[in-house]
Amino acid sequence: MRMRTGHLGGARAFVLHRPHPAIQPLARQLHVIGLEVREAWPELPAEAVASDFVFYDADMAHEAQFPWAAGAAPMPMIALIASEAPGRLRWAMAMGAHAQLLKPVGGKGVYAALLVARSNFDRTNEAVARIADLESRLSARQTVVQAVMIFVLRGKSQGEAYELLRQTAMAWRVTIEEAAERLVATHSGEGRSDDGKRLDLA
Amino acid sequence: MKRNLSIGVLHSARGPYAVLGRAARSGVLRGVAEVNADAAFDVAFSVVESDPEGRLDRYAPLCRDMLRNAGVRHVFGCLTSSSRKEVIPELERLDGVLWYCAPYEGFEASEQVAYMHSCPNQHLLPLLDWAMPTFGRRAALVGSNYIWGWEIAQIARERIGAAGGEILSDRYLAIGDTELDHLVAEIRALRPDFIVNSLIGESSYTFLARVAGLRADLGEACALPVLSCNFTEVEIGAAGAAAEGLYSAGPYFEAAAGGLGSFAETSRLAVHELARLLRGNAGGETLPLAQLLAGAARQGRPSRLDPDTQHARQPVVIAQLRGGRFREVLRLPEIAADPYLSRRDRAPLARPMLKVVS
Repeated sequence: MRMRTGHLGGARAFVLHRPHPAIQPLARQLHVIGLEVREAWPELPAEAVASDFVFYDADMAHEAQFPWAAGAAPMPMIALIASEAPGRLRWAMAMGAHAQLLKPVGGKGVYAALLVARSNFDRTNEAVARIADLESRLSARQTVVQAVMIFVLRGKSQGEAYELLRQTAMAWRVTIEEAAERLVATHSGEGRSDDGKRLDLA
Repeated sequence: MKRNLSIGVLHSARGPYAVLGRAARSGVLRGVAEVNADAAFDVAFSVVESDPEGRLDRYAPLCRDMLRNAGVRHVFGCLTSSSRKEVIPELERLDGVLWYCAPYEGFEASEQVAYMHSCPNQHLLPLLDWAMPTFGRRAALVGSNYIWGWEIAQIARERIGAAGGEILSDRYLAIGDTELDHLVAEIRALRPDFIVNSLIGESSYTFLARVAGLRADLGEACALPVLSCNFTEVEIGAAGAAAEGLYSAGPYFEAAAGGLGSFAETSRLAVHELARLLRGNAGGETLPLAQLLAGAARQGRPSRLDPDTQHARQPVVIAQLRGGRFREVLRLPEIAADPYLSRRDRAPLARPMLKVVS
């Protein structure tokens, strides 16, 4: 689906750059596009955390000026680049540039940078969320295997063990992963020394 | 005693959209004649003219030549977004200002351009907001296959969708294409409540003729109203009787038959606007447009151009083509341009001042 066109109205942007003619048209253009703009230098104030976009100087800024760690910006970030020296570019990327504008900044490219940055930011966040979800499912799968093994050690076949786990989950009205987690926790909490009554639900 | 200044005119009096270029050019020349004859203005303009002949690659070199070699700072010209985008780098490099006097699709705000006509919150959106309660919410979109057609359709899709309407079809034709059988068959089958037509030139005229034929076939039960934000008075002759009934929206429609339409009128007013900004301001022509506008505002005579966006405030007129001329259906008060459509949700459309429905 294409991005809706009207979403930038009322958005807030911080510009972390010392006052300089090379970025003067930026504030004007952001204002025309409908954003509220605040300029900051040398410190990006804590309330910048709540802003919708941050533009930052890739030439003179450093990490300590940001109220968050490198790469952990909670909004789309746009690097303002003059020097294309690899060291500065590496720093700009490490800070987490979602888009860039070349200095001197003119009227052109600002709107595109906003949309590209927001799209990259959203995509990165979606990817991070999906990875976290997959990781938790992966670890849940290991727990399921452990729970099945508990039954297997008590003499069930693998198929029977899984069926037992499934029935347990149904009886408890939880997911199989959650049931497995409880079973494993109970089992290990008892130091694997009980007689298996509590687990033998069959 | 008037001081004399050279201004540039960069309109295509030949080529594929010459009929529009000649109209806009006439408007500039009329404006120049009026300013020169008016003792209230302390400037007189002389015109330096070049004809790009509608060829995209000629705009930038001709504009550069005017700015570099003819002592021109202010250029009146371009009717297409692509040609405007060609000349902007030249204007930036050589401190020129383009007075752009045609409707466009928005999403631009160059400091080198005075956007004198209208953008979608001043033409398409009010037209749709009027059309949906009037005709219904099932729309067909048809446009020429380039930025104007695409962006008008994109904005229409959003607006109609947000109003709970439905897009029944969404078709694009190569510029100049008149092979419309498939499109017409689709419209016959779908019978939309209205059609948004962003076709240009011959494609548009042929389309209007085919829709007129459909109407005759289908009878009164199927009105098939056609809406267009780019059809102007100078095209009435080319489109012929088939265009009758067409609805359009814009800042201005010619009251009498045979007029040159809004491109010409906006161009004429643009020349007046420049003369006003330069009044009592010797050397002002070399200032950036933003400074001219700020100066005028300080002196208590604000321009029609918004100092932030450099887009003109405009009334919104919805008109219908009847008897060979546009008749006003609805007039809304002047509104500021919102080129990035970022303010539309916060500022709903003003209520109409008066309704003139036949």
